[in-house]
Amino acid sequence: MTMEAAPVRAVTWRGLWLAPVVLGMTILAGTAIGETRLPFVTVLRTLANHLWGAGYPVDGIEAGIIWSYRLPRALVAACCGAGLALTGVVLQALLRNPLADPYLMGLSAGASTGAVLVTVAGLGGGAISMSLGALTGALLAFGCVAVLARAVSGDVGGGRATQAAAALILAGIAGSQLFNALTAFIIARSANAEQARGIMFWLMGNLSGIRWDDVGACMAVSVAGVALCLWHRRGLDAFTFGADGAASLGINVPALRGSLIAATAVMVGVLVSKVGAIGFVGLVVPHAMRFLVGARHDRLVPASALAGAVFLVAADVISRSLVPGQVLPIGVVTALVGAPAFALILVHGARK
Amino acid sequence: MKVELRHLSARIHRAPLLEDISVRIDRGELFGLVGPNGSGKSTLMRCLAGLQRPTSGGILVDDADLARMPARHRARRIAFVQQQADTTDRLTVRQAVDLGRIPYLSALRGWGRSDETAVEAALTAVEMTAFAGRLWHTLSGGERQRVHIARALAQDPRLLLLDEPTNHLDIRHQLSLMALVRALPITRVIALHDLNQATACDRIGVLSGGRLVATGLPRDVLNEDLLAEVFGVAATRHAAPDGSPRLHFSHAL
Ligand SMILES: Nc1ncnc2c1ncn2[C@@H]1O[C@H](COP(=O)(O)OP(=O)(O)OP(=O)(O)O)[C@@H](O)[C@H]1O
Ligand SMILES: [Mg+2]
Repeated sequence: MTMEAAPVRAVTWRGLWLAPVVLGMTILAGTAIGETRLPFVTVLRTLANHLWGAGYPVDGIEAGIIWSYRLPRALVAACCGAGLALTGVVLQALLRNPLADPYLMGLSAGASTGAVLVTVAGLGGGAISMSLGALTGALLAFGCVAVLARAVSGDVGGGRATQAAAALILAGIAGSQLFNALTAFIIARSANAEQARGIMFWLMGNLSGIRWDDVGACMAVSVAGVALCLWHRRGLDAFTFGADGAASLGINVPALRGSLIAATAVMVGVLVSKVGAIGFVGLVVPHAMRFLVGARHDRLVPASALAGAVFLVAADVISRSLVPGQVLPIGVVTALVGAPAFALILVHGARK
Repeated sequence: MKVELRHLSARIHRAPLLEDISVRIDRGELFGLVGPNGSGKSTLMRCLAGLQRPTSGGILVDDADLARMPARHRARRIAFVQQQADTTDRLTVRQAVDLGRIPYLSALRGWGRSDETAVEAALTAVEMTAFAGRLWHTLSGGERQRVHIARALAQDPRLLLLDEPTNHLDIRHQLSLMALVRALPITRVIALHDLNQATACDRIGVLSGGRLVATGLPRDVLNEDLLAEVFGVAATRHAAPDGSPRLHFSHAL
């Protein structure tokens, strides 16, 4: 062993200062662009007025649009994008399956069922909000999936963890199908045409109803999610060669897997309950970021969170401005933009 | 590190994979495990690595119960090269070897000079320094195997478990790997299929149907009767030019 050691490699977070800048710019853009395009100056002045009472003269209606509608909407979009992308990162790393995302784990399906039960079937007689219904549904579905996965992989325990991951994915597929069927059943049974249309719209993701009340919870779960993933970045790295590989690198696999997946479930539950089931972000963004920054989680986690946030804010802007006078469900945009982008990244990556 | 297996049994779905295995491996010893396919070599390795809980009996490493050792603690002492482990992640050779330092890092303790030194030394030991920047999926099977071994060496273990490490290696790298393993000053357990390579071990254990049917010096254990009974082959022993015993296999019985 030679003692003239190589220089310690530079810290990998060199570009980190860019993240808040990019995120801030995106949110400003998301606030300025819309059906009525507002000048950046107005946006900045309105923000200054609200944040530190700067007292710039601005048009009251424009200020209202910016502060009460567009800004919370952009913030929630950013939080959801970051959160959903992180969920994909975590699930894909822990389950060693490139297709793992919140959809696959039954989380989105459960949230939909919960929301539909409350709004269409009138469960709780108005005492329960749609958000709470969706959150409960998501966690319930995830609980079912987890129990089923455990039953499938049985009492094997003791390191046969790779099979447990496969079992979880199969159980997730079964759970998703079941809860999607339940949702369809409830809509068919008791929704009138108007309700059905509304609910279909919500199922594809809808940011229209977002107000300041919703920002806190979304912000809390996504910031906590980023922090948790960064804290466990090495644990996530350790899964590179599978669960047994992680265990032999000193990771307590059941504990880490259990706690991170449960945290994921809560995060998705909260986010989906606010904005509906937005697909594609959790699947595509982590893959895209792996191509750009590599598979190491010290870079992948912040990059995915940032890219997810930017992607969803942009998708929201597009959903509001693509068809004049009409708002598209954001899930439609994420899929329309995400699918070709994903294909491009794949082709590009294969060439390298 | 001293390893002691006491009446170890392991089963999956009630099928017994290992039965009543007792053996003591001394500090610094190179212990070879041989046996036909499905005889339980990998299962025993997994038990030694702490990846599989024995159903009864136990393993003591330096007189401490392996089952009670915290995972992180264990990973600083015991490194394991699995029979097969692959990834679809895009990572470089160096990043794969870096993984071996995970037991020494924490969320707050970052990458340091000692980690760097360990990774460099491990890459050098398996002659993969020139490949450090290559992406994993561009490596050949043998190169991957050498990276796995480098990763295990980077863990700076006191017990190194190698499950058929010479698989996929060309003859030169087989020999240089065996020379590398023989030169390491730590306790090593190595599962092998090439019985002539096994003669390089200090002692060997022969597994058959989940039982340890023989242990001892390679030249005592690997005799014609055992080879016929356990492996089902007719073999003769003769001396190599350097005087060491060589096995010649003539046909399956
Ligand atoms: N998860 C499992 N479920 C059921 N049987 C298993 C399982 N894992 C291993 N076995 C069985 O246990 C026996 C021992 O397997 P093990 O992998 O330890 O063999 P081995 O000696 O390493 O063989 P090889 O030389 O082929 O690597 C085999 O018969 C195998 O089929
Ligand atoms: Mg084996």
